[in-house]
Amino acid sequence: MQFWLGPRARTRTEFILSLVILAVIAALPLALVNEYWHGVVIVSMYFAMLAAGWNLLAGYTGQFSLAPATFGMLGAYTTGLLSYYFGISPLIGIPAAVVVAGLIGLALGYTVLRLTGPYLALTTLSFAEIARLVISNSIEITRGDLGLNVAGLFEDRIAYYYLMVAVLVGMQLGLYLLLSAPAGYYLRAIRDDEIAAASRGVEIVRWKTNAFTISAAISGLAGALYGHFAQFVSPELGLLGQTGIIISMAVIGGMGTLVGPILGAFLVYVASEYLRDFGGIQLIIFALLVIIFGRFFREGLWGLVYRAIERAAGRPASTLPGA
Amino acid sequence: MPRLSVDSVSKRFGGLQALDRVSFTIDDNELVGLIGPNGSGKTTLINILSGNLAADSGRVFLDGEDTAERRPEQLARQGLIRTFQLTRVFPRMSVIDNLMVAGCALGLAQNEAEVRARALVDDLSLARAQDLDAGHLSGGQLKLLEFGSCFMVPPRMALLDEPFAAIHPTMKEIMASFIRRRHAEGQAFLIVSHDMPVIVELCRRTVCMNAGTVIADESTRAVLTDPVVIEAYLGETAA
Amino acid sequence: MLAIDLTINGLIIGAFYALMAIGLALIFGILKVVNFAHGEFYMVGAYVYTLVALMLGVPPWIALPLAFLAGVVLGLVVERLLMRPLYSGYISWGVMKDEYAVIVTFGLSLLLINLVDKIIGPYAYKGPALTSASRIAIGPILISGHRLVAVLVALAILAVVTLAVRYSYWGRQIQAVAQNRLGASLAGIDTAKASAIVFALAGGLAAISGALLANIFNPTPDVGIFPAIKSYVIVVLGGMGSVPGAIIASFALGVLESFGGVYISYQYRDTFGLFTLILVLLFRPQGLFGERQREV
Repeated sequence: MQFWLGPRARTRTEFILSLVILAVIAALPLALVNEYWHGVVIVSMYFAMLAAGWNLLAGYTGQFSLAPATFGMLGAYTTGLLSYYFGISPLIGIPAAVVVAGLIGLALGYTVLRLTGPYLALTTLSFAEIARLVISNSIEITRGDLGLNVAGLFEDRIAYYYLMVAVLVGMQLGLYLLLSAPAGYYLRAIRDDEIAAASRGVEIVRWKTNAFTISAAISGLAGALYGHFAQFVSPELGLLGQTGIIISMAVIGGMGTLVGPILGAFLVYVASEYLRDFGGIQLIIFALLVIIFGRFFREGLWGLVYRAIERAAGRPASTLPGA
Repeated sequence: MPRLSVDSVSKRFGGLQALDRVSFTIDDNELVGLIGPNGSGKTTLINILSGNLAADSGRVFLDGEDTAERRPEQLARQGLIRTFQLTRVFPRMSVIDNLMVAGCALGLAQNEAEVRARALVDDLSLARAQDLDAGHLSGGQLKLLEFGSCFMVPPRMALLDEPFAAIHPTMKEIMASFIRRRHAEGQAFLIVSHDMPVIVELCRRTVCMNAGTVIADESTRAVLTDPVVIEAYLGETAA
Repeated sequence: MLAIDLTINGLIIGAFYALMAIGLALIFGILKVVNFAHGEFYMVGAYVYTLVALMLGVPPWIALPLAFLAGVVLGLVVERLLMRPLYSGYISWGVMKDEYAVIVTFGLSLLLINLVDKIIGPYAYKGPALTSASRIAIGPILISGHRLVAVLVALAILAVVTLAVRYSYWGRQIQAVAQNRLGASLAGIDTAKASAIVFALAGGLAAISGALLANIFNPTPDVGIFPAIKSYVIVVLGGMGSVPGAIIASFALGVLESFGGVYISYQYRDTFGLFTLILVLLFRPQGLFGERQREV
């Protein structure tokens, strides 16, 4: 049990679990041949990346940004504009999207360095709205709300599917390595008590901006990949409602954990597709879930599972009660 | 060259002169107490020394270098560590992880930091709680943890703000013997406390402040019998 | 003259902003957290006013206080169920109350918007006017009858609320709790009740704002999102917890948008406030009137 539980081992357990989930997702097309559902899973993987990026920033570093969807949108438009106007291949467009989103994330992170709590949230919200409005209104360049048609990457949908799985595996590995390194300590310390972190010697500026940059880069990548999958980008990618969905997925799955965002994204999105048949109440259910989880189960679904495992293994609960 | 040199530091908050030209020095290997009635400016001074607050005027030197404009994390990396009157730890991280934050931030490799953290946890009698999240600890254990975080990497200068406040005598003794041992190894300390017996026991020299100024800076025994000090604490007619 | 016209227009819209913003300012002041469902109080007020009048045939002047009531009730329910844990008893979020507030109120916002969308439908209704006079001339300006009446109502409410918060018994209790919750409770003030009153008031005021504007901005499920964002900007600029500050900032924002819409850009007029917010926070992370937190 020592291998799986305990604070040091927990991140590793979460990483391994996320690989298992991704393996299951990879095996799904064998059982699920319907292409429509492949599309659903692809979109849920897009959301999983956005949720994971946001989770790194908010769940691990404590910076509650309201702009995750915005970076997805910025990434999508970077590669979208390059593709639409210059015919640049996605193989260049996608890395470009990562870089652009990362740089903007860095700038935003630097801007909000001294802000906390509601001020941070509101500033990122303002940034999100401004970005969306700029893209929406720059009709000559972006065609505004009509969106842009963008080149695709592959002929077969299934290729996109496995690309997303591969990217997610890579992302999880990267996050795992980051969080297992001293960086993981610094980010969590900043989250728990920034002043104490500074007084222990943690370089606050450096790690906060790193968190913003990496989070934005991941979101940008997600947006770019989605853009080429849907072969279409529009300002709707950056709507506040999208951010709401992303945050909900992370909260329901488990904030501040490595597996929460993937779990949350997959469950929420796939469930919402099932519930679509019940006449559009899926959003109402999510909203309720978000409130209930926020109110009673801070650690999300994964948190509940983990505590149950800890109890079964007879270990003392490592996390604060009431979670 | 003194380890820490405070030169005419002043700080004003609105209408209140919290510090008024405070000056003193601490040599390496000195264990100095800082006492004074409530509101005398001790914590404000500590905040300025640690970089959490900027002085209005005056300067602070650490081993001869001016610390102005330095952030707390920079000063920490230069060996100036402090604890907080209202204990600050990382509640959602385990005790060991709390210590590792300090260790890694100050330059230790991860494995080495872990080894030291496990040893430290034994020294501080926190071994049983080492894998619990810090948020679970009792008040006294929290103080010990924060205290311990200062010593993952031997600091050049440790500023302890009321380390003994409201803790169990056993833990007080653990801390005191810790301080004594580290002092013997050459570390300098400035300890803010209201706990006179411990100050007498640990500190050969004590600085006393009142209303933002230094009113006494001499051997601890002398300070405690100094009429000015007694008057500051007890009021006019007590002396 | 254009400048006067713009100024008056700006002040008018500012009055409506103010109705929404003072409630939020009080919430910020007393709980130190964001309420991301504030726009939905506005939306609920707009819908109650409109539907009660259109479907039940209730005259607008009666529908208005009903909208206020709806906002009050919603505010009380939200405070009791969701906000109370923030400061009373043990809460799993402990130190992370900002995050809790954002998540929970975001969820609430999502819930309310989608509930309305599902139950009532996404189509816009037009709220009834408060008066049948369509155009009234006041000096050099021409203004629609409803708009004039609505503004007068808004101003009257603003005056009453400002006086009440400053001078009334509960107003002073609220100010005390806003300054120091622990101290206030030690002094015997019922902080839970103060919080409840604040939320009820905030809900009611935002609802009235929605109702008054229902004739101009037709109620749709997400009609409250934009006004909410404006309110956040205003509260940051005007000072969290300060009613006069929020009112001044509201008028300022209204005028800024009015002039900016003509002289700078009409398309981006909604972003002026956002830019101002970012600029202000860049230089004063605690907001224009906020206190620098004594960190240690």
